[in-house]
Amino acid sequence: MAKSKLKKTFLEPLGKNNPVFVQILGICSTLAVTNKVQNTVVMTLGVTFTTALSSWTISLLRNHIPSRIRMMVETMIIAVFVIIVDIFLKAYYPEMWKQLGPYVGLIITNCIIMGRVEAFALQNKPLPSLVDGFSSGLGYTYVLLAIAVIRELLGSGSIWGIQILGSWWTNWAIMIMPPGGFFVLAIVIWFIRETIMKEASNG
Amino acid sequence: MSVQRSFYKERIFPLIFMFVTTFFCILLTSGLYLATLDRAQANELSFARRAILQAASLEFTNTTEGIEQAYHQQIEEHLGYYTATGDFGTRYIIPLEGPGLWGTISIMVGLEEDLQTFAGVAIVSQNETPGLGGRIEEAWFTAQFKGKRTPMVLVEEGTASLANEIDAITGATRTSEYFKNLTARVPSEAQRIIRGE
Repeated sequence: MAKSKLKKTFLEPLGKNNPVFVQILGICSTLAVTNKVQNTVVMTLGVTFTTALSSWTISLLRNHIPSRIRMMVETMIIAVFVIIVDIFLKAYYPEMWKQLGPYVGLIITNCIIMGRVEAFALQNKPLPSLVDGFSSGLGYTYVLLAIAVIRELLGSGSIWGIQILGSWWTNWAIMIMPPGGFFVLAIVIWFIRETIMKEASNG
Repeated sequence: MSVQRSFYKERIFPLIFMFVTTFFCILLTSGLYLATLDRAQANELSFARRAILQAASLEFTNTTEGIEQAYHQQIEEHLGYYTATGDFGTRYIIPLEGPGLWGTISIMVGLEEDLQTFAGVAIVSQNETPGLGGRIEEAWFTAQFKGKRTPMVLVEEGTASLANEIDAITGATRTSEYFKNLTARVPSEAQRIIRGE
């Protein structure tokens, strides 16, 4: 019983309760970092780490946090994990840290993290909260990766910085600019809702 | 009694709770910061030195040790500039900053002995649009300055053929302009910094 509930907690954010294409959360970072696959991978790892651990920590403290200051406490705990990611990247992956620039610090404004904390971690035990945070991060990750692959391939002719399309390919500059993010995001959301999710709800 | 109790619960406890949480959060993050400070500073220094080596168009292996080794062998530090010596004679490297589209672009420029001919250009930091103006960091863009003199002319990407032509970046006309303006200041800045004129 407990196991099947945990499994459900894990699967929901990947499919019918996906943070990006169902809840439409975390869109700002989706638009910002998906112009290169490499940036996207680092960003999504950072977000997954932060959502999982901040949901877990806040769930541990949930019975002690006074409700009138709970948002402050939540923000601070999320900020701690974001700073950990920032410090880690700066010390061990300086090239990546330089490329991502302000985006790492902006993980804290990712609505998915606060959203999961408020909607799930405050009412549930630590383990389910950890699972929920982690799989919300994964749900965010795979949608962003899909968008990033499309944008980098069309915009730069490459994936992960490796040239895929030959010199005959003319780069679509718009794909790496913010409008490209909007177009691809909308197309991906539409595609998933019209095909996969429709089948799932019919079956 | 119950008034006192609710006063504690409503006013005092939240304060204490916030204070204690903040204390632990700061303890944790500042501890981590201090633990990695040396590494972070070493990385910064290594970035700066790599830019100097690139600007002087020197060969080096792109690792922290490789950068250190090449730097200590061939670069000499002076007040406000650097020199590199080798088979090519002496090259002067100066730091330079100027406006970009979104923020300051700061670069290292290497010059041959005449202080007119570029030996190389390397980006130290920039905040241009990633994927568009940000492409000034790409090797093909900076490499085209080697052996050129100001004034230079921007032409469409992939069409530069004359001695003073530079390929602009498609989709980043403004950044290309800013970068050209920055390099245009190089000879006079070099005179000022190195010769003290």
